Amino acid sequence: MFKRRNFIKSVAIVAMTTTSMLAAGLSGALAANEILKIGFVGVTSGPAAAWGISNARSMQARAAWINETGGVKIGDVTYDVEIVTFDDQKDPKRAIAGFEKMAQEGIHYVVGPNVDDGAAAVRPVAEQNNIIYFPYAFPKALYTAPASNAVLGMVANYQSGPAIYKYLMESKGVKKVAFVAANESDPLSQREGGVAAAKALGLDVVSDNVTYQVDTTDFTPVLTPVMRTKPDLLVLSGVAPANAPQLIRAARELGYQGLISTETAQDASVLQEGAGELANGFISVGGASTPEIATDAMKEFVDRYTKMFGEYNDESNTKVYALEYILETMKANPASKDDVAEFKKTIDTLSVPNIYMKGDAKLQYVGSTSFGQKRQLAVPMVVNEYKDGKFETLFIAQVD
Amino acid sequence: MSYKNQQTLGVGAFLFVVFILIPWLIHVSGRWDFYYTLTSVALLSIASGGVWLTFYIGRINIGQGAFALAGGYVSAILVVKYGVSFWLTIPLAGLFCAVAAVLIGLPILRLRGVYFAMITLVLTEVARLTALALPITNGARGISSIPLPGELSIFGLTIIPDFSTIENVKLAFYYVAAVLMVASFAALYRIVNSRIGHLCRSLQQNEELASSIGVNTAYLRVIAYAISSFMGGISGAIFVAISRSIYPASFPVKDSIDFMLNCFLGGLGYVFGPMLGTLVIYFGWDVLFTTGKYQLLIYSSVLILLMLFLPNGILSLRLPGRKGVRK
Amino acid sequence: MEQVLANGAYLGAQYALIALGLTLIFALMNVLNFAHGQMYVIGGFVTYTVYAQIGLPFVVGLAASAVTLAIVGALIEKFLFRPVIKKSVREESTMLLAAGIAFFLDAIILLVFGEKQRGVPKIINGVFNYNDFTMVMPYDKILVGFLAIASIIIFILYMQYSKTGRAMRALAQDKVAAQLMGVDVDKYSMIGFALGAMLAGVVGGLLVTVTGINLGMGGPTSIKAFMMVMIGGAGVISGAIAGGFILGMMEAVGLSVLAAYGDITYLAIFVSLMVFLAIRPQGLMGKPWG
Repeated sequence: MFKRRNFIKSVAIVAMTTTSMLAAGLSGALAANEILKIGFVGVTSGPAAAWGISNARSMQARAAWINETGGVKIGDVTYDVEIVTFDDQKDPKRAIAGFEKMAQEGIHYVVGPNVDDGAAAVRPVAEQNNIIYFPYAFPKALYTAPASNAVLGMVANYQSGPAIYKYLMESKGVKKVAFVAANESDPLSQREGGVAAAKALGLDVVSDNVTYQVDTTDFTPVLTPVMRTKPDLLVLSGVAPANAPQLIRAARELGYQGLISTETAQDASVLQEGAGELANGFISVGGASTPEIATDAMKEFVDRYTKMFGEYNDESNTKVYALEYILETMKANPASKDDVAEFKKTIDTLSVPNIYMKGDAKLQYVGSTSFGQKRQLAVPMVVNEYKDGKFETLFIAQVD
Repeated sequence: MSYKNQQTLGVGAFLFVVFILIPWLIHVSGRWDFYYTLTSVALLSIASGGVWLTFYIGRINIGQGAFALAGGYVSAILVVKYGVSFWLTIPLAGLFCAVAAVLIGLPILRLRGVYFAMITLVLTEVARLTALALPITNGARGISSIPLPGELSIFGLTIIPDFSTIENVKLAFYYVAAVLMVASFAALYRIVNSRIGHLCRSLQQNEELASSIGVNTAYLRVIAYAISSFMGGISGAIFVAISRSIYPASFPVKDSIDFMLNCFLGGLGYVFGPMLGTLVIYFGWDVLFTTGKYQLLIYSSVLILLMLFLPNGILSLRLPGRKGVRK
Repeated sequence: MEQVLANGAYLGAQYALIALGLTLIFALMNVLNFAHGQMYVIGGFVTYTVYAQIGLPFVVGLAASAVTLAIVGALIEKFLFRPVIKKSVREESTMLLAAGIAFFLDAIILLVFGEKQRGVPKIINGVFNYNDFTMVMPYDKILVGFLAIASIIIFILYMQYSKTGRAMRALAQDKVAAQLMGVDVDKYSMIGFALGAMLAGVVGGLLVTVTGINLGMGGPTSIKAFMMVMIGGAGVISGAIAGGFILGMMEAVGLSVLAAYGDITYLAIFVSLMVFLAIRPQGLMGKPWG
C-alpha cells in the first residue's frame, strides 16, 4: 500500500513538471522573420477579466494581421510581432511579477496594467528595467514628472467628463447631477474627478456619496436613495461593463426619466442583453469603430478580431491604439526599438496618419495640458449614445 | 547519524540554498526575474506561517490579508507622513497588527470552526473598506511614490546601506525577505517546540479538556493570534517598500484565501509546510504564465490532483522514519 | 419605506435560495463549498445558452440548469470530495480542494462562455407601480421572487416528508447514529451534494433573467452565501433562510438609512455582522461550534 501511494505521488509530480516544461517549449514557435516582442500585463481572469481580455485580444488580432501581411519593417529589419501576455489577476503584487517577466524576455514596451493600484505598483520595476508602459489607469502622478515611463493609453475621465457635462448642459439643459460609484479605488477616484468637474461647470451635485459593491445582484436598493434627489443626469463613475446594464435597468424601473452617462467604454451587445430598450439614450465614451469615423482599416480590424475570437468587444475600440503607437514610434526612430531614451525623444515629435480614423487625424502623443509632458496617446474621444443595440455618435473631441 | 546532527545538517543545507545557491544560480542563469518571485514567496510565506500558527490552535484563519494590509499602511504612513526610517516601521507595523489582533481576537477567538473562518474572511473586506474610508490612508487614491528604504545604522555603523545607492535592489530585497523568513520560521519552530507549543497542540485537539486541566485557553489563543498577525504585518510592510505604493486593494480577499491554501498545501502538520505551500502555489502560477489562456485551467487541475493524492499536504510525502512535528 | 421593504424582501428571497444549497452541503459533509458561487454562475450561463441562444422556452433553460448542476455536483462529490475526506487527517483540508474546484470551474466558465456579461430577454415586461412610485417593482422580479420562495417551500417539504429527505436530515444530525440505523452515507452524501449544487443552478437560472451573469460573480456570491449561513447558523436549513432574508433586509435598509454617510454603508453592514457573530457565535439558530 505504502509503495503504491508513493508511486502515485511521484507520477503526479512528474506529470506536473512535464506539463509545465511542455507548455514552456510550445510557446517558442518558429517564424521566418525576426521576432519583436511586445508585452501585455493585465487582468484576464476573475471579475474584471473583460477589461484585460479585450485589451490583449485587440493586440493579438492586430499582431496576427501584421504578421500575415509580411510583418513590420523597423529600420532595415522586418519583424513579426509577438504579444507576450501575463495575467496579473488584478493583484498589484502579481503585476510586478509580470513586469519582471517582461524584463526577462527582453521586452521594453508593455501595455497595461488595467487598474490604478497595479499601475502604481509597477512603476519602480518599470523604471529599473527600462520599460515604457501604457496603463489604462488615471492617477496623474503616473504621468507627470518625475515619472516618465508611463503613457496613458486612453482618454482620462477628468478629460472626457467635463466635455460630456458641458455638452449635456448646453444641449439638454442639465442642471442637477448625481454620481454613483463602486466602492473600489478606480471608480471612487473617477467619481471625485467627475464631481470636481461638474462643480467647476456650475452644475448642482445633488448626490455624490452612494456606493455599491461590485458583486451587487440587485441595484434597486442602491439607487433608491439617489432617485429621491431627482437629478437630471445620473453619472455612473468608472462603471464596469457588467454593472452598467443592471444600474441602468434599476434606475429606469424606479421611474427615473433623466439622462444616464459614464466616462468608461461599454459594449453594445452587453447593454442590449442586460437592459434592452431601457438602455436607449445611455451616454458613454467609445472608440474608433463608430461608423462616422471608422476607416476600412478599422472595419477590417473588427472583422479579423471577430473571426479570431468569435465575437467583437466594443471595449476594444479604445485599446487598439497602444500597439499601433509603439510600432509607429519604432518605425520613426529605429534606435528606439531597444532604447527607451530614444523612444522618449521620439514621443515629442511623432506625427503620422491615423489609419483607423477618417479625415486627417494624426497619431501623436499628447497630454501637455494635463500632465505637463507628452505622456498620453491621442485617441479620438468619441461620445456615444446607445440606441437599439448600436452606438450613435453624439460628438467627437480631441485631447491636447 | 543522530537526529540532532541530521537536523543541524538540514538547517545548514537550507541556509546554504537560500543565501548562496539561489543567488548563484540566478546569477549564472541570468533569470533575474526570479528574484522578485522568490522575494514574494519569502514574504508571503511569512504571512502564511502566521496563518499556520492559528491553524495550530485549531482555528481556520482567512483574515491574514487584513493584517498584511494594515501592516503595509502603517509602514507607508510612518515613512511618508512622519519620516520614520523604514527599518523601524517593520517592527512597528508588526506591533500595530499584534495589538489590533488582541483587540479583535478577544471577542472573535471564542468562535470555532467555520464561524471563525467566516468572521476572518469578513475582516479582510472590512480592512479594505476601512482603508477606503479613512482620511489618513488617503482613501481610494492610495499612497504612492514611497521612497526606497534608507540607511540602517547603529552607533554610526552601517548595517544596511541606503537602498537608493545599491546597484542591485532586487538582490537586496531578496536578502531582506529571506533573512526575515528564516528568522520567522526559526521563531515559529521554537514556539511550536516550547511549552506554549505543546499547550497549543492540546487546544487543537480538545479545548474543553485543555481548559479543565488548567490551561488558560483564552490567553493562549490571543497570544497565538497576535503572533500570527505580527507576521502578517511585517510581510505587508516589506511589500509596500518593494511596490513603493499601497492601495486598499493591495491585499484582497484572494490573498487571505491564498495564505490559508498555502498552509493546507504544504501540510498542516509541519512547521515548514506554509513555506513549501507558498513556493508551489505562487511559483506554480508564475511558471505557468507561458500557457496563456489555459493558465488557470492547468493551475487549478494541478491543485485538485495534489489534493487528491496528498490530502495531508506535500510534506506528508516524506521519507519514513523522519517525523516532523505531527499533530 | 415600502420601497425599501420590497427591495429587502426580493433580495432576501434570492439570497435565501443561494444559502440553502450551501448549508445543505455543509450540514451533510462538513464541507465549506467554496465553489458554490461558480455553480451558480454555471447555472446562469446554461439557462442563457438554452433560453437566449438556442431559443427554447425559459422553463426548459431552468430545468437544464438544474439537471446540469445536479450531475456536476454528484460527480464532484463522488470523485473528488469523497476520496479526499476519507484520506485526510484534518477535515478542513477539503477547503483547499473546494478552492481548487472553484478555480477550475472559473477557468472552464471563461473558456466556454467567455468574458462578457450576459443577459436574457425579459420573461415578463412591465413594472408594478403602487401609489404613484411609493413602491415600484418590475413584474419579472416579482415572478422571480415568488419562484424562489416556491423553490424554498418545495425543498423544505421534500426534506421534511420524503424518504431521501429524512435520511439526509438524520445524517446531518448525527452521522454515526444514522449509519447505525442503516443510512447509506455515501449514497446520501452524493444526493445531498447534487441537490445543493442543483439549488445553486436554479438560482443562477432564475437570476440571469433579472441581473444577468458574468464569470466574475462566482467568488463574491460564495462569500455572500457564507455570510448568510453564518447569520442563521451553519448547517441549519431554517437558519439559512433566515440569514438570507436578514442580509437582504440589512442591505436594503442599510443602503437607505446610511445613504447620507455614503461610503461607509457596507463597512457598517460588515462590522455589525462581526459584532453580531462575536455576541452570538453560533448564529441565530445554529448548533454551537458547528
